Amino acid sequence: MKKQSAALLLMLALALPLGGCASQPAEEGPKEEVTAERVVQYGLSNPWDSLMPYNSPSGSNYSRIIYDKIYDRLAYVHADGTVTARAAQSWESVEDGCGIVFHLNPDCAFHDGTPVTAEHWVETIALLTDENCPALGRSAFSVLTGTDENGVATGTEELGVKAVDEHTLQFTFKTPTIPEEFLLDKNREYYVLPTHLLEGVDPAELMEQDLWAAPVGSGPCEFVSEVTGNSLTLKANEDYQLGAPGFDTLVITVMDKSSLLTALIAGDLDYYAFGGSVSADNAPTATEAGFTVSKSEAPNTFYELMLNCQTLSDARIRRAVEYALDKELLCEQSTGGYGEVTSTSILPTCESYPGPGETTRNVELSMDLLEEAGYDGETYTLACTSNRSGLAALMQQQLAEAGIQTTIETVDSATLFSGMSDGLYDMAIASHTPSALPLWFVESRFSAENNIFHVDDLSPYLTGIDAIRTETDQEARKALVAQLDGLLAEERPFIPLWFGTALHVESNTVTGIDYDASSFSNENVWEWEKQ
Amino acid sequence: MIHYIRKRLLTAVPVFFGITLLVFFCLELVPANITDLGGEEGGTAGNQAVMEERLGLDRPVVERYLIWLGGLFHGDLGDSWQTGRPVSAMIAQRVGPSLILTGTGVVLAILLAIPLGAAAAWRPRSVWDKLASVCSMVSFGMPGFLLSLAGVYVFSVVLRWLPSARMYATGTSGTVGDLIYHLILPAGVVCVSSMGELVRQTRSACLEALGEDYIRTARAKGLTERQVMRHALRSSLLPVLTTVLSHIPHIIGGSVVVEQIFGWPGMGSLLFSAINSRDFGIVMGVTVVIALTVLGTNLVLDLLYGLVDPRVRREEVGR
Repeated sequence: MKKQSAALLLMLALALPLGGCASQPAEEGPKEEVTAERVVQYGLSNPWDSLMPYNSPSGSNYSRIIYDKIYDRLAYVHADGTVTARAAQSWESVEDGCGIVFHLNPDCAFHDGTPVTAEHWVETIALLTDENCPALGRSAFSVLTGTDENGVATGTEELGVKAVDEHTLQFTFKTPTIPEEFLLDKNREYYVLPTHLLEGVDPAELMEQDLWAAPVGSGPCEFVSEVTGNSLTLKANEDYQLGAPGFDTLVITVMDKSSLLTALIAGDLDYYAFGGSVSADNAPTATEAGFTVSKSEAPNTFYELMLNCQTLSDARIRRAVEYALDKELLCEQSTGGYGEVTSTSILPTCESYPGPGETTRNVELSMDLLEEAGYDGETYTLACTSNRSGLAALMQQQLAEAGIQTTIETVDSATLFSGMSDGLYDMAIASHTPSALPLWFVESRFSAENNIFHVDDLSPYLTGIDAIRTETDQEARKALVAQLDGLLAEERPFIPLWFGTALHVESNTVTGIDYDASSFSNENVWEWEKQ
Repeated sequence: MIHYIRKRLLTAVPVFFGITLLVFFCLELVPANITDLGGEEGGTAGNQAVMEERLGLDRPVVERYLIWLGGLFHGDLGDSWQTGRPVSAMIAQRVGPSLILTGTGVVLAILLAIPLGAAAAWRPRSVWDKLASVCSMVSFGMPGFLLSLAGVYVFSVVLRWLPSARMYATGTSGTVGDLIYHLILPAGVVCVSSMGELVRQTRSACLEALGEDYIRTARAKGLTERQVMRHALRSSLLPVLTTVLSHIPHIIGGSVVVEQIFGWPGMGSLLFSAINSRDFGIVMGVTVVIALTVLGTNLVLDLLYGLVDPRVRREEVGR
């Protein structure tokens, strides 16, 4: 019996390491006793990458929404496409449209108290564009003079960034650039780093600095501690130039997407990213629990059917696929009535919007086009993520009615894009966050580096894109946009489906949240007020 | 016995390296890697070259495995591909919370299941037996995610008795009381999920033992039912012990679903997000920890067999 007891004791000793473990998980960063009363509990469904904004492999919005709080950006982008001051108080176009001068707010300061100067911005960009620096996402700097297409400084030409004086920063671009369009496009990728803490650092070793484990930024929130990939504790930057946030601590916790609304209702969250978005199906649950559900003023999601132009090599077949789809029905199924069908990737809020185009289903025309193209009944692979398998099944049924055979492959998002890129799939359903720029979608997808639709000849698209990019006259530009859109409708390398509009569950405990803008990876935390 | 331990250890070494080799090459077959992330945002062509060079993905897979193995021999699990932090530091952050969550759940399950299973065997068709059946049915019939969501709905949303997420209340420095308050619901789910197997195992092992000749002899000798049950429980401990110890790797590895739903900062949620973000540095690190735990547990199990069952010990001495 003694041996039995010994065995049991040993067994319990193995299974009971609790005594020594009943403490808080070790958090990295300076320890601080958080006794604040005004705590904003913030939920996020996916973890962020590194806390260094130029070391994000995914470049996802989950990372950007974190960087947005710790680091400062030049401007704040509203959902309707307008931009207002943030680190920069004002800006103006110079050098015949090839330059922008930003007048920085003199009250900007890093969390260690050092004032932010134009020189910090210059040093940040110089460091990141250094050829030895393994920065990720630096292609954002490729628009500046003195850089190549990947945003690496060429060394043969002066880098297009300079400090005119302590608080005046100038960017010089390769092509004429409208300031508001630059900010709409690149604002979320331009951050100022505390270069005074990086003096003497070899650019090749920039990512290995201890600074990124406890980062010092100049954004509205200061880093306190982190359990990597699970929770992040930030405190309000009392000296933020646009005003101190109306809370003491912001605790960001990663939890399953399906748990966010439940946690909000249970009172374990005050708010969750992005904008407390909720599906039309779940909106009544939130309303019944006493929350206000509001509809976004601007569309925040663009749905497309990606096509592989190598396997669907005839444009008539690609157009036949579009005509076979009942976009209205698919949109209703996907958004629950909060979407608008489209035949273009350009947002209706964009000044160059060419109109919704032809979106009506026409099965007869689809069948005629297939016959004309000599479609031989080949079965195409339609890839989708698991949450869109119902949508894919409906598409499959509609395509079959026109005689197009498909098989569905349900994969995760990374596999879907990688598979399209490698030419494994013939079609794939995808969604993206749009912006009010006419080229927000096509510019990055019709390039030699990212020819995801496998277009044989990119030159007509590149010519159109270049023409639009360099045209500053609005009317002439609108005509060019319509021309490019016509080419896309004729060739159909991808099928625009609809723009989705988000529903937001408004927080009952935090006021001042700009729900619409949060879908665009920036949040006005300096205006938040915890009740 | 020492010879036996040495023999077991020698067997464990190739098994361990076999596991790491298998997982490393399986990860190689995954259709997309970390450099493919960001497609939704319009492609990452500029990042791909930098990432491939930094992570050595441009090298042959065998060379990469050998480099990783070389690091392991020096106690270096490498860096996370996603965050750039040392894998060992990230795992160290997560092991404690996982031990607390699944450890508590499994220990609770043991404390409840063994007496319940024994009582069910002792008095078949009694209320204990029926309770054991219900317990097993709930445990086997309800998947962890459903149990978690149902628990959150009832206790957090409707009754508002328990928190639905996190390990500590936000804005506090984390007291033991606060930890227990946050632990009740997720540990309860782990407990219910683990109980079914233990109850059934204990019940069937005890029933089998109660039908043995030596039990009949014990009863004929006039031993009390309590004394008889003690004998039966002792001999039925071996299969129960196997089941109990098989939960140890689960304790270290964490419960992926429960941790994910409750936002618990454990190994399970770390592994889940690492797989999603193709952070194979973390996946390999967690593999090493789990593989070592499984092998270690098996070794301990073998030793305990010897302690609990004299026949095993004699067999070893005889070799």
